[in-house]
Amino acid sequence: MTTEAGTARAVALGLPRGADECIEADGAVRPPYAELLATLEQAAAGLPRIRRDAQQWFADKGVTFGVPTEGVAPIFPFDPVPRVLSAGEWRSLSKALSQRAMALDLFVSDCYGAQRAIRNGVVPGRLVYSSTGYLRDIVGIRPPRATWCHVSGIDVVRVAGTFHVLEDNVRIPSGIAYALESRRAMESLAPDWFELAPVRPIHGYTGRLRRILQRIAPRQWDADIVVLTPGSYNAAYYEHRLLADEMNATLVEGHELIVVEDEVYRRDAEGAAQRVDVIYSRVNSEWLDPLVFRRDSMLGAPGLIEAWRRGNVAIANAPGTGVADDKVIYPYVPAMIRYYLGEEPLIDNVATYDLTDERQQAHVVANIDSMVLKPVDASGGYGIHFGRLMGSQERTEFLEEVKASPRQWLAQEEVALSRAVCLRAGGGFEPRAVDLRPFVLLDERPWIVPGGLTRVAGDPDELVVNSSQGGGSKDTWVLTR
Amino acid sequence: MGTDTLTYSVSHRTVLRYSTTVTLSYNEVRMRARDRGSQRTLAFALVSTPWAVPRSRVDYYGNFVHRLDVTSPHELLEFTVDAVVENSEPRRRRLTEWEQDALASDPRLEFILPSPRVPLAANTRALWHEWNGDDRSFDSVLATAQRIPQELRYVSGATTVESSIDDLLEGGAGVCQDFTHLFLAMLRGAGWPARYVSGYLGPVDEEKVVEGQSHAWVEVCGADGRWLGLDPTLGQHVGAHHLRLAVGRDYGDVAPHHGLFFGAASGAPPEVTVRIARMSNQQVDRVEHHAGVHWQQQQQQQ
Repeated sequence: MTTEAGTARAVALGLPRGADECIEADGAVRPPYAELLATLEQAAAGLPRIRRDAQQWFADKGVTFGVPTEGVAPIFPFDPVPRVLSAGEWRSLSKALSQRAMALDLFVSDCYGAQRAIRNGVVPGRLVYSSTGYLRDIVGIRPPRATWCHVSGIDVVRVAGTFHVLEDNVRIPSGIAYALESRRAMESLAPDWFELAPVRPIHGYTGRLRRILQRIAPRQWDADIVVLTPGSYNAAYYEHRLLADEMNATLVEGHELIVVEDEVYRRDAEGAAQRVDVIYSRVNSEWLDPLVFRRDSMLGAPGLIEAWRRGNVAIANAPGTGVADDKVIYPYVPAMIRYYLGEEPLIDNVATYDLTDERQQAHVVANIDSMVLKPVDASGGYGIHFGRLMGSQERTEFLEEVKASPRQWLAQEEVALSRAVCLRAGGGFEPRAVDLRPFVLLDERPWIVPGGLTRVAGDPDELVVNSSQGGGSKDTWVLTR
Repeated sequence: MGTDTLTYSVSHRTVLRYSTTVTLSYNEVRMRARDRGSQRTLAFALVSTPWAVPRSRVDYYGNFVHRLDVTSPHELLEFTVDAVVENSEPRRRRLTEWEQDALASDPRLEFILPSPRVPLAANTRALWHEWNGDDRSFDSVLATAQRIPQELRYVSGATTVESSIDDLLEGGAGVCQDFTHLFLAMLRGAGWPARYVSGYLGPVDEEKVVEGQSHAWVEVCGADGRWLGLDPTLGQHVGAHHLRLAVGRDYGDVAPHHGLFFGAASGAPPEVTVRIARMSNQQVDRVEHHAGVHWQQQQQQQ
């Protein structure tokens, strides 16, 4: 397709300027979107129906995100226009993320081992030792196959055409179920779209994850795998259920597990005790074992950590990985990649400042207009402050707070996220900010599901892209060529 | 052994009573000291009713931790540690201050950072400044250790195990745990790595027996990486009668016991009895003799 034809199509479809994921500044359609736009020419009129049907499809399947209010958890908002990545774009992105996931895994391993990175000044000890994710009780433990971050979800955003990492999630990265279900919805509601475009399948994810979990099991030949969920009130409960179903694992809550003589058991349907080999945990490590960590936790099982220490049960992700996804550690990930792997980072961070460092703090204060400050111990996009959006009084007060507790905040330069074409509520299209959370599985070598979860801002002016902030998702296509 | 070696027999009994039957309880006990420096454990036994096999591990700070799991229904759990411990007075050394850069990449950095029970707040920094001005030298460290018991009153029951440094400063009175937390906060604020020590305070006189609670004090680390014990309750260096049990960032890391149980019962606060006797040389000889016999029997069995 020539650029002129592409431009003509973009105009004919009424695609909005500013949707730079799809359309270049000069109005030309970006090559990966050629097949999709050809499809949309035929299907544009049917898009509102597809969205409606998709919402119904999610409702029927019970695909929810968030805590149920008045009995029913909200349906995950869905946009029917896929986001498309070319094979080339994906190849370099997945190489970069593999590199990053490996470095993060080595860092966790190091934190609970010799702490070389701290001794050699690569990562400041003051940040590790003050991290709520640094769990002293597991220092010295070596998990099976020396792997800690079996699953990482690394959030990337495209800024001025180039992907950057916004945040690393190696604690309990969630979202894969929504990516899988978005694809299934599209395949069932618009099967013809996939006939025109060569889209790589993603359904192999759960099988891969099951294989990794089996490999770390104490009894690999007959591994009993459970998915440990905090319960049905957790925002991602739907995902926990789906993963358990598709991996042929048992979905359990902490009170259903019992530790006897350093072995973990669950009750099966007949009430008999079954020995558990692997826990795929969606409970934060700090809540896993009230005997070791949080004494008030009802979400885990007492004795779990000792059972893990002795190798009688495997836990994925391993307890303690939170030290690597502490937001204040993030600025040091590029240095980690150079240190552990001896390679140059293949993907950059968004410019980020460690506020516990006096010089960096001064820079942030001087350039507050272009900064975004995020609370370190929060997720879900809560508590984010945009420097330019604060009144002078508010800004002064806020900066006082930051100076008083610099460890609690992280400053990033505000970046303009790329925008994807989305269906507007009343029909037609509008550009909305998107990010992407690819999922990296660590086995002998990293494996990444093609694409991942594309999250869409709730409305065209929204700056934060997060499922907890009213955003939705769309299908993510990685093309085979 | 030198003449200044003191030997103690320690009996530390803990009774946990539940209002109704408990089906399962897990307990972690930090009551055995590592042999370090001048202190050595000659004999140790941990026995519980109902009976449970204690299993031990070493925690992050190098302390022994014993796990006692009671898997039969019980309304009461009692466990007693009997130990024979010898100690002599640690050598009094002068410590030198850390270079900032050296400390930044040293694991002991951890001990100048705030910890759950030792927040580094403005009030403790101000107190250091009020007492010592800008001087952060070792002389100020010693002066602070001496001044804490002069400025604050030791009153049993004035505070609880959960009390904070602010509670101590507001009330003006507390016990060794509070004095230790305060001293830790002041030291860390002044850039000295410092850790919490839990232990006992034994009698100095031979064959004398004391009954009482556990004791706590501080170890401060100099630039050579070695720790020196200072007691902010007595306002002096630690002596041969300071028997160390466990070290950590604060009380939360070294609590001698914590447990969990299953059942509808409510647990009363544990009843704790600590009895420490300074043994005569004759008594010590008997212990060492028995230890030797025991060893021979084991040898024969193999």
